[in-house]
Amino acid sequence: MREPKESWRKVAYDLRPAKQVERRMLLDTMQMLSLAGFHISEYQYTGFGSIYFVDFILFHKLLGIHRLLSVEISEKIEKRVNFNKPFDCVDILIKPIGDVIPTLSPDRKHFLWLDYDTIVNSDNLSDILLATTYLTPESLLLITVDVEPPGEEGDGPRQWRAYFREEAEPYLGSATEVRHYAKDSLPRINIQIIEKAIKKGLTGRSDVEFLPLFNFLYADGHQMLTIGGMIGSKAERRRIEGSRLIETDYIRLDLSKEPFIIKVPNVTRKERLHLDSNMPCSDTWETEEFEIPPDDLAAYSQIYRFFPAYAELLL
Amino acid sequence: MTNKNANAYPKKRFFLEMFTRDISLEDCILDLIDNSIDALIRSRHIDILSDLLNPVSSDESVSSNKQWQTLPTITVSFSDKEFRITDKCGGISPEAAQAEVFNFGHSNDFSGSLGQLGAYGIGLKRAIFKIGNHFDMESTTTTGGFKVSIDVKEWSKKDTKISDWTIPLELTKGVKTLTRAGTSIKIRDLRPEVCMRINDGSVEGILHTKIAQTYALFLERYVRIYLNNQVVQPETMVLGQSEEIQVGKDQFDEKSPEGVVTVILIAGLAARTPKNTWPLSSAGWYVLCNGRVVVAADKTDLTGWGAGLANFHYKYRGFKGFAFFFSENPLLLPWTTTKRGLNRESPVYQRARNRMVGLSKPVVTFLNDMYPSEVSEEIAEREIAEKAVATNINRVAANPSKGFGVVRKKSAPKTTVQIAFQSEKDDVARIKKCVREPSWSAAKVGEYTFEHYLRMECPE
Repeated sequence: MREPKESWRKVAYDLRPAKQVERRMLLDTMQMLSLAGFHISEYQYTGFGSIYFVDFILFHKLLGIHRLLSVEISEKIEKRVNFNKPFDCVDILIKPIGDVIPTLSPDRKHFLWLDYDTIVNSDNLSDILLATTYLTPESLLLITVDVEPPGEEGDGPRQWRAYFREEAEPYLGSATEVRHYAKDSLPRINIQIIEKAIKKGLTGRSDVEFLPLFNFLYADGHQMLTIGGMIGSKAERRRIEGSRLIETDYIRLDLSKEPFIIKVPNVTRKERLHLDSNMPCSDTWETEEFEIPPDDLAAYSQIYRFFPAYAELLL
Repeated sequence: MTNKNANAYPKKRFFLEMFTRDISLEDCILDLIDNSIDALIRSRHIDILSDLLNPVSSDESVSSNKQWQTLPTITVSFSDKEFRITDKCGGISPEAAQAEVFNFGHSNDFSGSLGQLGAYGIGLKRAIFKIGNHFDMESTTTTGGFKVSIDVKEWSKKDTKISDWTIPLELTKGVKTLTRAGTSIKIRDLRPEVCMRINDGSVEGILHTKIAQTYALFLERYVRIYLNNQVVQPETMVLGQSEEIQVGKDQFDEKSPEGVVTVILIAGLAARTPKNTWPLSSAGWYVLCNGRVVVAADKTDLTGWGAGLANFHYKYRGFKGFAFFFSENPLLLPWTTTKRGLNRESPVYQRARNRMVGLSKPVVTFLNDMYPSEVSEEIAEREIAEKAVATNINRVAANPSKGFGVVRKKSAPKTTVQIAFQSEKDDVARIKKCVREPSWSAAKVGEYTFEHYLRMECPE
């Protein structure tokens, strides 16, 4: 067992724009799933609330989820976590998540977000395996990991391969050569590892499979990957395929397709107002008011609905 | 174009020479005991799933009482001249003997009393071929019986047509009471390698241990086994339990068109030995199929160590888990034909293995906390583990499913602090002299002077 990572010290969670776009896309998806007949507000949300509880606040306020469980590994901040608990309906457990997953109620549907801020390791993979072993049908599972190269500055693909062999040996499949571990290939390696761990947990569960929904890549500094989907049967697959989800840009029903890249372009407030007044736009629309690279414009048109606006508040 | 058929006949030589190589002598003998226990299950209509895991009431328990004296027996004895197994477990009917018992494998349409432990229809033949060249078998039930006497070498010489694959039976009368019904097998002209094993003196000890472990649940309530006139006591299955410790349990049914497998998983802390230790050798997972131990004290990836769980480590020697698989159709169970290993590809085992990992996780966390990298003053886990008392597995098997957990009683916050300091011996002696207490220890002097100062200088 690893020592708990004190990520709560690292960043103010709520100010990472790409992460925030991802959260708002999740909310958008949950609303579409509700329309497709999944009673999201009755799901139990289990996540790593840390001391900020950003997702807990969003999911309670905007989705009406009222069964919330935050799992925290560090005993050192037990009081602080409890102090910052935003609602009475948030339960807190100070335990490793791997101890908690097997105890999630078999009588409920779950929304479990394994939102790691580390490079994937054997503990994470064991959590993923347990998640798909235990989660009830119709439950949602999200996994976020850091997909930057592991190890020290100056390491290369050979050392990176050694890392993954150490941490994820059973899940590497045919990725045996050093060339498979080039920096650009690391997100794909991570996707394959996570997908295999998901499948391993599902072995012997003949009634359900993993129905992918999300495959996000984004960077607020480090490049992060989020894989997500539903544990469901053919019936759930049909409901998803019959919903508006399939015509949504950022949805990925197949993990072998390229991830959706959340790119947050740098634009000023004034530029945003102008761009927004032309959204949604066609693929060929351009603006003559100011210079903006076509890539940034395309990225903006995909995320503008989810793009947070930050302003200073004097409290 | 001409069509021809290629021969695909069974050959006796294969069964005599090849198929006996993959199993140890001890495991062959256990196969014969399996058959005796199967006869017992059949004749006494034992429902192993509901019975085996119920608590044994005190007047039922093996050690003490008269009832134990009346349990059916299986006696195994051997020397370098002869091997013999005799049971009073109900016997084999002449009909079953004629149609099924001597076949190599069960036939497709065989739906009769498929054994609960003998699943494959090979144990008896393999054991005989492994051990010796001549066998006599006799069995009686309440309705009839039979006798067989075969010289295996002679029998194997004739192998040209399918009618050479028969065994002559002499039908006999039945016995009046079930308690007298049973089977006896005597094997003579032992194979030279078996004689060598027997003469090296290790077989009896190994077999004794294996029987005690493999049939522990049966020995606790249904049957007495004697090995060379020594009764075998079960190696009881226990876990450590206390008011503070909740043993982990999980249960599910795996359904398929061929039948249902009921899986019961139990994991927790091992019980301490009288010397207050956890022996490494007995730590790990135990896997049982229809009550028979198939894998004991496993610490490998077979049961999830290093594959979902951390690699097994000395500090996990307090871990103990039991995985029970029950089915009326033993072919659905994940055992191999030698019953000394697991078929990893079995779907029910793959599903169970993931859940064994899930059930083990909190126990492993507990043991990690017990041996942290930085040693703090008091470790609550150690105190909890010390208080655990051995509890028989059948006392927790009926518990509702729940993860392993520990109820930590919040101890009252400590109000004292320890003071230690060095003083000159002469000074300590001076104080002792002054207070006229020459027998006081240095610690007592320290306490006295502290209290004196407190009383005189800092009155409340």
